[in-house]
Amino acid sequence: MNEAERELERVKQAEAEWCEEVVEPRLKRFQIPESPTRFYSPAEQGGFDFLGKVGFPGQYPFTAGNRPFEPWRVHAEAAAKLDMGTGRGASGAGRYSGYGTAEDYRDYLLAAQKRGNRGGPNVAFDLVTQCGYDSDDPRAVGEVGRVGVAIDSLRDFRVIYEAFTGERDIDKVASNFTINAPCGVILAMLAVLAEERGIPLAKLRGTPQNDILKEFIARGTYIYPPRASMRLFRDTMVFCRQHMTAMNINSIGGYHIREAGATRVEDLAFSLANGIAYLQEGVDAGLDVDDFATKFTFNAFGGSMEVYHEIAFQRAARRMWARIVKERFGARNPRAMMIRQAITAHIGCSSTTLQRPLNNLARSVAGGMAAGMVGGMPSVFPPFDEPLGLGHSREAIQLQVDASRIMLYETGLCDVNDPWAGSYFMESLTDQTEAAAQEELDRIEGMGGAVAAIDSGYMPRAVAKSAYERQKRIESQQDFVVGVNCFTGENELNVELDHESEGMYDSDHLGSAEDRQLAKLATLKRERSEREVARGLTTLEQHAKDTETNLMPDLIECVKSEATMQEICDVLRGVFGEAEPAKL
Amino acid sequence: MSSDRKIRVLVAKPGLDGHDRGARVIAYGLRDAGFEVIYTGLRQTPEQIARAAIQEDVDMIGLSVLSGAHIGLTKKVIELLREQGGGDIPLLVGGLIPEADRPALMEMGVVKIFTAGSAISEVAAFIESRVVSAVSG
Repeated sequence: MNEAERELERVKQAEAEWCEEVVEPRLKRFQIPESPTRFYSPAEQGGFDFLGKVGFPGQYPFTAGNRPFEPWRVHAEAAAKLDMGTGRGASGAGRYSGYGTAEDYRDYLLAAQKRGNRGGPNVAFDLVTQCGYDSDDPRAVGEVGRVGVAIDSLRDFRVIYEAFTGERDIDKVASNFTINAPCGVILAMLAVLAEERGIPLAKLRGTPQNDILKEFIARGTYIYPPRASMRLFRDTMVFCRQHMTAMNINSIGGYHIREAGATRVEDLAFSLANGIAYLQEGVDAGLDVDDFATKFTFNAFGGSMEVYHEIAFQRAARRMWARIVKERFGARNPRAMMIRQAITAHIGCSSTTLQRPLNNLARSVAGGMAAGMVGGMPSVFPPFDEPLGLGHSREAIQLQVDASRIMLYETGLCDVNDPWAGSYFMESLTDQTEAAAQEELDRIEGMGGAVAAIDSGYMPRAVAKSAYERQKRIESQQDFVVGVNCFTGENELNVELDHESEGMYDSDHLGSAEDRQLAKLATLKRERSEREVARGLTTLEQHAKDTETNLMPDLIECVKSEATMQEICDVLRGVFGEAEPAKL
Repeated sequence: MSSDRKIRVLVAKPGLDGHDRGARVIAYGLRDAGFEVIYTGLRQTPEQIARAAIQEDVDMIGLSVLSGAHIGLTKKVIELLREQGGGDIPLLVGGLIPEADRPALMEMGVVKIFTAGSAISEVAAFIESRVVSAVSG
């Protein structure tokens, strides 16, 4: 036995004595079978491999963070000069937005610019667009322009970008697109716009979400079956690496998966399984992992109120992804191994409550603390009025941003990198999180990977079952939610805040969006050349049947001919078929 | 439940909204509570929902909408039910329903609105009382 081992033995001995002499009497006094708290000593970890498991910030395996430091205060101050700081810094994307017609959204963006917003558009598309339909489809009734902007054709896309010219041209600001199934069509629209403006494709900047696999597990805006969807993902990825080389490829997310009810472990394992499927698609297409993996981004993982667990989650996620990219895919470029994400730990929107909504501010501050402690911006997310479903008020955003600033400027929260490194407790929890996620990941790999585990319904079913388990725990008071299943007596006060500022969107104008959009679509169909449209769609159909052909050039031709979103997607539906909605 | 026939509930997701956590949790919960539950899956048109409700002879329909399209979709389902002889099937709405929109839904004939934070037991108790009173009354 060496000195270290002898020391460990002494700790174990002392721990046993502590349990007997200190803990036991107190348990007896309170008449409870076991302690409600835990204490972690070196006995938990044994020999600890610091360099292998943690390493220095900015170095493999990135457990302690992607960067040696991040100048959050610089970002916060830059953001404060702009329109209601987003916490993401001046260079980051603008606030996620989009409503009504392209004209409505353009005007919203122009108004935001007048208030100082300099970022590119971070586009929310309506569900009609996300599901590959046109505004005149019967399924679109009531949905046009509702949760985002309606895009039927290149004409609409062009109108949004009337807000981005000169200093804000598409080679100078980054565009974010929350689009998945029809991602190729939207990228094609961007490519055509660039051509019209004489901007080389290589100069275009931005990030499409392009994370179709999670749509089958949560969120639900899929169109084609998983396998065909992956072929379209491949086509966008290869096209981006060959032509739109500055663009990110995707924004992988566990966020929606967790919000749909997944446990922490499922969130991590499913996200990594999806990530592995995307990486494999790139390798199979002959791309170099050291190159294309640097263009993968992560949107966000899910969050919860359990702050310790969320800190361990972020540390485990960084380490696991780095190991997968390096060891499994043989990468050597450290940049290819990082989880690049704007948002780290947070509580998740599903932790917020409709009851006594101002309490959500207290909740989201806990998430901001966790974010600060994993090396992220201590972003307080979401604004407290999130569950009211009315769009965030400017008051709620002000409180959110100020809470983040208080942590950054008053608490010293972000003065230390990975402050939990070496903690007996946190290192144990990180190991446990990793081991549990690895076990689940192995199970999925055993089924044949993410696509197979979606095809069989395994992943969507697991998420729904976990959501139900959580609901049962809340209803049986195994899990507590203040103001929902406890502390709901008559003496409790519902603290309200007056909303004085106007909403972000003009809701009266939104009421007429559907009619205005339909009129535009009718005009388009009158004015364009049907022959051109038919020619493009026919070629697309032929090429879609050949899996080896990259469809991006055909999508670009279709977009140029002013074929509509649904016309393009219908052709692909004809070749690929449609995905079946998951059963219970 | 005492009757020989289980209470039949159609849990439906109208429109293009893909947020089905609530719908699935309610479906599982009602099933465990002894109801017979038919879940439509995502992206059902009002026509499909009305048809399923009538064909399956359900005692209650629960619509789940989180996209903001609840007014139009609910109205359409109710209209179709009335046209096709299912006008007596009571309808619940769940999801993200702003306070201001609730009177309009109730006016259309929705019997109850459940939003975030509602307990399954509460929903189950409501359906049971409603269906039993309809049978005896």
